[in-house]
Amino acid sequence: MKALAALAGAAFTAAACYGLGSVIAAQLGARLRRAEKFPLAFVLGAAVLHLAIFAVLTVKMAYKPVLWLLLGACMAIALHTGDWRLPRAAEPSQETRLPRVIRYLFGGIAAAFTVLYFFNAWAPEISPDGASYHLGLVARYLRARGFERITTDMLAAFSGGVDMLYVPAFAIGRHSAAALLHFTFLMALALAVLAYGKRIGKPLAGAAAALLVYLSPVVGIDGTTAYTDVAAAAIVFSVFYWTQLWDENRKRRILIAIGLLAGYCYAAKYTAFVMVVYAAGFVVWRTRKWQPAAMVAGCSLIMIAPWAIKDWVYLQNPVAPFANQWFPNRYLYVLVEKLWAADLRTYRLVNLWMLPLEVTIRGQATQGTIGVIFLAAPLALLALRSREGRKILVPCALLLATYFGNIGTRFLISSLPFLSLALALVLDTAAPAVLVAAIILHAAASWPPVLESYSDAWNWSLHDLPYKAALRIVPEEEFLGRHMEYQWARMVEKYVPPGKPVFTLTGLADSYTTREVLISYWGGLNNDIGDALAMGWNKTWQPATLWVFSLPQQKYRRLRVTQTGTATLREEQWNIHEIRFFECGSELPRRPGWRLQASPDPWGVQRAFDNSEATRWRSWEKLRPGMWISVDFGQEESVDQLTVELSGDEWDARMRLETTDARGRWIPLAAPVEKRKAQNSELLRRAATYEAHLQGVDYFLIKDHDFGAKDYAEYPESWGWTRLEHNYGASLYRVDP
Amino acid sequence: MTLGLGLLSLCGVLSVFLCGCGDLPEPYAPPAQQPVFEAPAESVRVLKMADPGAATHFVQDISQSLEANTWRWTGKRPTVRVFPGSNRKLRYFIDFEIAPATFEQTGPVTVSFIVNDHLLDRIRYTKPGRQLFEKQVPAEWTDPNAYVILAAEIDKLWLPLRRDAPPLGVILMALGLERK
Repeated sequence: MKALAALAGAAFTAAACYGLGSVIAAQLGARLRRAEKFPLAFVLGAAVLHLAIFAVLTVKMAYKPVLWLLLGACMAIALHTGDWRLPRAAEPSQETRLPRVIRYLFGGIAAAFTVLYFFNAWAPEISPDGASYHLGLVARYLRARGFERITTDMLAAFSGGVDMLYVPAFAIGRHSAAALLHFTFLMALALAVLAYGKRIGKPLAGAAAALLVYLSPVVGIDGTTAYTDVAAAAIVFSVFYWTQLWDENRKRRILIAIGLLAGYCYAAKYTAFVMVVYAAGFVVWRTRKWQPAAMVAGCSLIMIAPWAIKDWVYLQNPVAPFANQWFPNRYLYVLVEKLWAADLRTYRLVNLWMLPLEVTIRGQATQGTIGVIFLAAPLALLALRSREGRKILVPCALLLATYFGNIGTRFLISSLPFLSLALALVLDTAAPAVLVAAIILHAAASWPPVLESYSDAWNWSLHDLPYKAALRIVPEEEFLGRHMEYQWARMVEKYVPPGKPVFTLTGLADSYTTREVLISYWGGLNNDIGDALAMGWNKTWQPATLWVFSLPQQKYRRLRVTQTGTATLREEQWNIHEIRFFECGSELPRRPGWRLQASPDPWGVQRAFDNSEATRWRSWEKLRPGMWISVDFGQEESVDQLTVELSGDEWDARMRLETTDARGRWIPLAAPVEKRKAQNSELLRRAATYEAHLQGVDYFLIKDHDFGAKDYAEYPESWGWTRLEHNYGASLYRVDP
Repeated sequence: MTLGLGLLSLCGVLSVFLCGCGDLPEPYAPPAQQPVFEAPAESVRVLKMADPGAATHFVQDISQSLEANTWRWTGKRPTVRVFPGSNRKLRYFIDFEIAPATFEQTGPVTVSFIVNDHLLDRIRYTKPGRQLFEKQVPAEWTDPNAYVILAAEIDKLWLPLRRDAPPLGVILMALGLERK
């Protein structure tokens, strides 16, 4: 039953996309050929349907009947208008017909991989991102009947244009339905490339390029799980395709489709935003007029605006989780974003010159391979000699330019259709036999057992044909139970009461638990809790130095500590556990009338005044001169000493004191400083637990290899925790009442 | 028409971006002051032999069988592990009895009281009967974030006539740390 539901969920959603796209394409006056009708209509319909589902989630109406109604309406309109039907096939000309041997050969290869892909997509979903955040968020939205303001998971801030389509699919057929829907995008992409080859009179190049994409190992695994990269590639290629259709007949209404799809690129994946630039630029270039490009941009905005507005309303940052320096907010820290982005640019590869080998053969560091055949990708540059080749290489270059922001192999998928077409055009012109041989080689090298024989052991790829799991002959629970991510999710579901979040340092399969999972680095609050916990066991992060400033004995209205040092390490911050003021050896009690400010991270300033050594105000930006924390006492106060307690991971911080003059301007204060060793409380662990508890977190899932895991396991009493279960390489703890 | 649409789009994008700026908070008042944590009462504790789960703290030379629901036989060096969560004002505490029956064979015994391999004290007992011993533990002998190993070493054991029976030390009622 689950297997059938999965098929139904994917089929109905795909059919709705196709139906809606068919109607819109007809309304726009697009005359699509038989071969291109399904892929282009399907993706165009997906773009518009995603917006409708976004609206449903916004008004919190994501009930099953509503979603059924929406899908049903899309199909019914297409059936009613007759737009559902495929156009009649034109008599194939000699130019567009492939030799029979090639058709059988390519058809056989495609069929074998389609069987492999289909059963993998149909099997229970347990992919890292699919089973965690893509479907985790979809499941959460469905439980809440709509969007929720999520400030503790920066992955929820990404535009989710494809994830929106997973909402009805998941509601009907759960996890596998979403994966099967993504597989539909994969087929649409391959069919679009095939159709494009036919359209430009290069059927062999089109068929070969389609297979180059379709058989690519990373495309295979991505397109059969609930990821979104392959769908994004299909949307990207559709934008290109529609621009070429428009260029043939210059119908203004086609620009609407181009604009909507270009905007949908952004909605599907931020990095695909370049297709808006491409589409608008192409239209300007071909018409030498701005108005058509403005129309494209305007239509794009229809797709982009909802996502930007959602992030702006929820997180005060329309392009969250990026650009937090330009859109400062309390939910996502600047330094975390920068360190994360820096990691994405290297994936810890020591030498980026290894990247070609990594993404084609090895696949462990960058998580997947596009196929050994793409070592020949530089040959694609020879396509620049032909007009068709230049058309293809422009969007390819734009997309590749964004790739270096995230060098994960799957981030090449969007540019792969263009690269494949260009390569195929070159070989088709020069030596068609070589092209056919290349496809055979690509198929052989991408087939799982062969791929496993030469790629890295941890290359992200398909491994087998799980038909028993797909048909649920092997029960879903048994299949999923072999995966620790799933077992952790079930552990959380078993012990954590409804409504209670669980904190973890690394992820799990969120979509298999109904509890909120806070991952330590995905949000400001999570970072604060993680920081407090780490302080419990990591002596370097604990209070280490006390800067004691002796002030000229007088009354002060305002005092400011200004940082003047420069970091030598990229992750070094300014960290202050506590700032205290004294008069004649007695600490000034912190009165409610005081006003505290800081720059940067003004939201966290209270942590330097909360009397807890397990918390610290952090700049969350790289240490640089000009950072400050100020106190306005609200009245004149006698102060003769000020202490600043810094962490041990503070090497370059230098500070000076300032006060305001009669005109309210900040002026330096001559205050000699003495550095002393800070006295730590014995019970930082307990204080850290208290801090987490204050934020509503009473459950912790700690994996055996997590930082600090040994400490949590050895001293649960000291943390004030009880271990509820240790299994599958992880422990679940509860804060003692 | 299209130009207007384009301009409208541009204004929309700009307004979104500009509205993102300058949304900084008002200054904050000092927050509620966090409590100063002390070791939980149950951490600094004297381990009674009848306590549920007491055996999980045993390190060596304490019988697994509880007698009369209150005491256990020891071997030469009964040792327990406790987690005080503090190293301030800790006192070693032991409650034990030298059984008259064993005393008859051993005569006076000397017991050494040990904390983390440091000798806290050594006392010679010349009569059988119930004994209480407690003494302040120097703070530097213990780490507040680690387990403390407490032991009492008995110099002479009662040797049974049967070879397969274990030698016996004292009757142990309680051993642990107090905070005073």
